[in-house]
Amino acid sequence: MTEVEALAAIRALFPMLMALSSLALVPLIRLWRGPLRDDAATYATFGVQLLLLITAVGAGLAGAGYLSTLKIGQIAIDPSEPGRLLVLLGGIVFAVIVGAGEGRRAGTMGQIALFGIAAIDLALAIPSGIAPISLLLFASLGISGAAASGKDDVGRARAVFRDLRTVSLLLPAVVIAEILRTAISYAAVDASYATPASLAAGTALGVSLVLIVAAGVFPFHGRLIKIFEALPIVGSLLVGVWIPSALALIVMSELSVLASGITDPLGGAIVPGILLAGAATLVFGAVSALLHDDIGEIVGFIAVGNAGWLALAAAAALQSPTDTSSRLIVLPGILTISLFGLWLVSVRRRYGTTSISELGGWARRTGANGIALVAAIIALAALPPGAVLAARLNLLLLGGNPLIALFAFIGQILLIVAAIRLLLVGFTPESQTVHEAETRPFANIITVSLVAGSIFVAAAAAGWLALESGGTGPLPPAPSVSPGASFEPAPSSEPSVEPTPSATVSPSVVPSGSGEISPAP
Amino acid sequence: MPGLELPLVLIAILAGTLAVTSAGRGAWVAIAILALTSSALEFSVTDPNRIGLILRLSAIGIGLVAALPENLFEREALRRDLALRTLVRTLLEHPVVVASAIAGLLLGLVPLALPIESSSDALRAAGVALLVVGLPPLLTSRFIEATTRAAVVTLAGTMLLRTSIFGALDPLTSLAIGAGFTCILVVGGSVATRISNAEEER
Repeated sequence: MTEVEALAAIRALFPMLMALSSLALVPLIRLWRGPLRDDAATYATFGVQLLLLITAVGAGLAGAGYLSTLKIGQIAIDPSEPGRLLVLLGGIVFAVIVGAGEGRRAGTMGQIALFGIAAIDLALAIPSGIAPISLLLFASLGISGAAASGKDDVGRARAVFRDLRTVSLLLPAVVIAEILRTAISYAAVDASYATPASLAAGTALGVSLVLIVAAGVFPFHGRLIKIFEALPIVGSLLVGVWIPSALALIVMSELSVLASGITDPLGGAIVPGILLAGAATLVFGAVSALLHDDIGEIVGFIAVGNAGWLALAAAAALQSPTDTSSRLIVLPGILTISLFGLWLVSVRRRYGTTSISELGGWARRTGANGIALVAAIIALAALPPGAVLAARLNLLLLGGNPLIALFAFIGQILLIVAAIRLLLVGFTPESQTVHEAETRPFANIITVSLVAGSIFVAAAAAGWLALESGGTGPLPPAPSVSPGASFEPAPSSEPSVEPTPSATVSPSVVPSGSGEISPAP
Repeated sequence: MPGLELPLVLIAILAGTLAVTSAGRGAWVAIAILALTSSALEFSVTDPNRIGLILRLSAIGIGLVAALPENLFEREALRRDLALRTLVRTLLEHPVVVASAIAGLLLGLVPLALPIESSSDALRAAGVALLVVGLPPLLTSRFIEATTRAAVVTLAGTMLLRTSIFGALDPLTSLAIGAGFTCILVVGGSVATRISNAEEER
């Protein structure tokens, strides 16, 4: 391997290398501090937080580009723009969450976060085929299994079992979608077979189903709620929000390619169905969040509401493939739910309860947690109005159905009301639990990182902060499920498979040129 | 490998059927045989580039070692559970699954109603049969070990169906799918242990 190739491999696999290095770092720290010393876990947590931050900085500095394309035989691993952006923000978000979570298993949670964001980066760097989706699905299963380990809790084990079943069912759907996708080019030249539009509809249904089930869109929300109820917050966020959102980027990319390659309108009721599911999910998530009294469940239902936006975005990608609004809302959604997760873990750690009835006056007692929730509410509302709010409104308009748009709008307002309700509880008279809880001084590294991290993430989520992953050339978009090099469709009949114009996932990221996969030098 | 294809297909379908109908030792041995045969079908053993086959077998081997229950290799019990009479009785006790496997085999031999007709009939038949056998227990079973085995059968069927059309997987996808097999087996085994421990404590 030449020096250039080694450099390319390091750049392409940087997050994975950091995750693997944690496997050596944590045991070394424990060996250094001694297994019986109380501070071994604290030092391990610091070590993993440092790795998370290095991963974020590395992603920001190295980015992607021609030089970071790693070629293994016929396979190119080329870090993508969405992948590197998710790593950049994920490193910071999870470093803060792991710090706020503290405890004996915080280091392990940090390692899980490292592997989770590395899997997302790798999946979004593989150009096409079923590899990216299967990698994300199996990473989701592995992370839920790892996050639930360490304690014989039936609830946790059942949540993982549910995840195992879901993942095993989704892969056949992806393969069937891939087969139908390949048949489109042949149907275009042979009228005796199914029409390209009907095959595209079948493909769209297959990949949309993956998104709908993985993200927890109504009526598949049960898995997401169980995950938020049972798993630690790092596992919940990765399995319930980050990985489904990365899947959403792949699915939206595929849907855009499909819709732009078909001249006839897609058959069936796929677009209205996805739109309806999205609006229903928003309303259902919001009403459920208002009706529940456990902050873990409330955050779970707010995540369900976010899944509703993903469904609306998928429908918009089918309706208007060149519009970038659908991909613009993914990252703010991830960050918003992560902020709620950060607030949840911090409150749970401080007061040892998740029941609203026992949390009266929490915001007055711990102002830093109050700041975290205010930041989450601002991110949820996408205020002040900017690119994110405009993208959400655009999605509602692209749906073309005023009634569904109205339902989705009401759902979003109710989600904000549910979050404000949590804040108001913090200003009621102090409950016994809150009064007796031990608090930290404000000038504490964990408190300062909680406040600073919340403001940073809220700024990124609401679209105030310009974020861009660096690199030496144009960054590729998210991959699609179009088959890879193992199958070569007939050249004369191939429909347009030009990737979408942009894979922008941040409101302020400049679209990356033509959006084509970067060629190797 | 045309001469070996049909026997391997039949062995894979039989192993898949036994994996979802048997309990304990018989089912785990059937899973191991299914893994071997489906991998041999998916990645031609005559292919000089055997990286995909090696990756798949290694991944499933690791998963099986992690997931296998204790006392599996007790010689006497193994001989009793794997006796031909026991296996035949197991199949006779589950006529619906056996009928599903045969129906899947026949259904798979019929070309797909798609403009891709270059697919291998035998692989397609094996893939469809394993999907038909694996999906119902995967959807409905309340037992974790049975669901884990059904997930492996379904994934093997899915990959065979895909291979029948697109050919063998590239090394990277092969690695991802191999990791998936390991993940299903390890996570399934760990969940089963945890739930049985919690229930024992209770």
